Amino acid sequence: MQKYMDRDKRMTAREAIEQFVNDGDTFAFANCLYSMPLALSHELIRQKKKNLMVFQQGGVEEIDQLLSARVIDRLVMAYNFRAGGRRLVTPLDRAMKENRVEVEEMTNHTLLSMMKAGAMGYPFIPVMSGIKTTDVVKKQGFLKDQRFGETIDPFSGEKTLVVKGYNPDFALMHVQRADKAGNGQLWGAMINSKWASLASNKVILSAEEIVDTEVIMSAPHLTIVPSHKVCAVVECPWGAHPTELAGHYDCDMIFRALFFGSTGNDESLEKWMDEWIFGMKDRQEYIQHYIELYGDDTLNALKAKPYLSTPADYGFTFNQTWNSDGYSNQLGLNKEEFVNMLKEKGGLING
Amino acid sequence: MADYTVSELILSRAAKEIHDGEMVVIGQGIAMGAGVLAKRTHAPNLVILTEAGLLGIDPFKVPNHIADPSCTRGFTYSCDMTDIFTTVLNRGYVDVSFLGVGQIDKFGNMNSSYIGDPDNYEFRMTGAGGAPEFVGYSGRTILTMLGGEFVETLDYFTSPGYLEGGNSRYEAGMPEDSGPEILISNKGVFKFDQVTKEIYLSEIHPKVNLADIKSAVPWDLKISDSLIETAPPSETEIEIVRNFAPEISMGRALQIETLINRVFRLLEKNSKQEPVHPLPNE
Repeated sequence: MQKYMDRDKRMTAREAIEQFVNDGDTFAFANCLYSMPLALSHELIRQKKKNLMVFQQGGVEEIDQLLSARVIDRLVMAYNFRAGGRRLVTPLDRAMKENRVEVEEMTNHTLLSMMKAGAMGYPFIPVMSGIKTTDVVKKQGFLKDQRFGETIDPFSGEKTLVVKGYNPDFALMHVQRADKAGNGQLWGAMINSKWASLASNKVILSAEEIVDTEVIMSAPHLTIVPSHKVCAVVECPWGAHPTELAGHYDCDMIFRALFFGSTGNDESLEKWMDEWIFGMKDRQEYIQHYIELYGDDTLNALKAKPYLSTPADYGFTFNQTWNSDGYSNQLGLNKEEFVNMLKEKGGLING
Repeated sequence: MADYTVSELILSRAAKEIHDGEMVVIGQGIAMGAGVLAKRTHAPNLVILTEAGLLGIDPFKVPNHIADPSCTRGFTYSCDMTDIFTTVLNRGYVDVSFLGVGQIDKFGNMNSSYIGDPDNYEFRMTGAGGAPEFVGYSGRTILTMLGGEFVETLDYFTSPGYLEGGNSRYEAGMPEDSGPEILISNKGVFKFDQVTKEIYLSEIHPKVNLADIKSAVPWDLKISDSLIETAPPSETEIEIVRNFAPEISMGRALQIETLINRVFRLLEKNSKQEPVHPLPNE
């Protein structure tokens, strides 16, 4: 297993996707609905990555955008948002009808269980057997029999439904803050983030802000992905817009409606993609463009007011082994007494 | 009596199915509205959670989706989706969950995936999401149906109701006493026979004809001997719902219309932007 032990992995989104994503890779979104890594998925699109397979619990705009740009051709999912009623033909509908994407239907629980088993290094994991009555289990998609199986619980002798563990090549993930080594901290809706990121062989991480490692160390319970999983760290304010992120911004429903308003046919969708993805160098330029079009006030109206978590006190006496007088509480000795003891009783080797 | 919308009628009827001290999983829309209405009226000790891992929320507005913490000032337990499905649902802590119905059959089995042959479908709905496990393993499920339909055979079997009826659900491994409890449509209230598990009409909404209900069901729908009219929402209930969730009161078509109006107001701020392709109506 490749470990990512560098101390400083900061780079741009463009560099991260260039360096760590290959055509044909499988990947997971390590956020769902909330804190979506849209700046990173836009970069996949700008670089015209091809033939990717994606795991996503529940898609909103990201799946439609990736399909429109022909980035993904295999999709494992449990849910995809519909903006309109029966008359709307969505980008997913068009891609499925034109055989540009193969879809594997899962439930939220069983899809995330595939990630959890993969994250733990297990070949499979039990899930709730009652759903074997449904077409989700009975109808096979492109993963064929490599999703659900049945085994005997060795303790009860009962038949048990299981799902196979998966390890995607990479995950895309957005969080509130990370240090430059990639210890990423997320709070709000945890949904699939832990298991989808840990299942993947590497994580491309964007964060609203890069903080000192000391900040991370003062609140380690917030670290959702540790640095050894993370290959790239991208500082990216507004990196999840138009989705919401606690401590930063609310969902931008109007912007989202503008996107969905364009999705009814390929022509208007491509126009939206040209303006907001292909026409933009990076997320900073996208936000500048937004401000130029709709004004600072529109963007500022989304900004979060503070609601601070009461800090967890990670304090102890923090007694050093040797205090400033050279005395150890732990040993009940000063440094000189310690060395004398080693000389007399510790069998010091004459160097 | 105050005037009310059909959404308010469904929502307030659903809220009456929730009891104090229960744990309820809500999605968005009517389910969230019903949970909050119950909590603000007869069920102050209700624990509300979403499958995204937000447990013990106290929503002051309707969330955009199951992972939207902007609807509440904090919550009591932040966990992830597998924690909800395993440690909470699979261990039997969920009393009630909600599901919106696309297609439903005689025994409460449901489809929220495809209308038409899945390999050449007419309409793709959202997909399974969390529905199969929630319907399978919650103590009770409250179903709501606005645009859905009764069918003889589901086009796609997404969520297990009572399977073939009788005890078949429990023989397939789902917990004793679990299952769909009630279906509230825009025309009436339906329940399930205790023995056969076949759906029947138990309440009819004010100003609805029985013939209208029966004609939308492709089998000979059973009717309760004690059929009553659905109780309309009280003025207090209407007031709470409109304060908390005016979007739900107005229904989906008006929601889309108001959103489009907001989009156009934004676009008017900027003459460079050309008009977008209009959003389709429901």
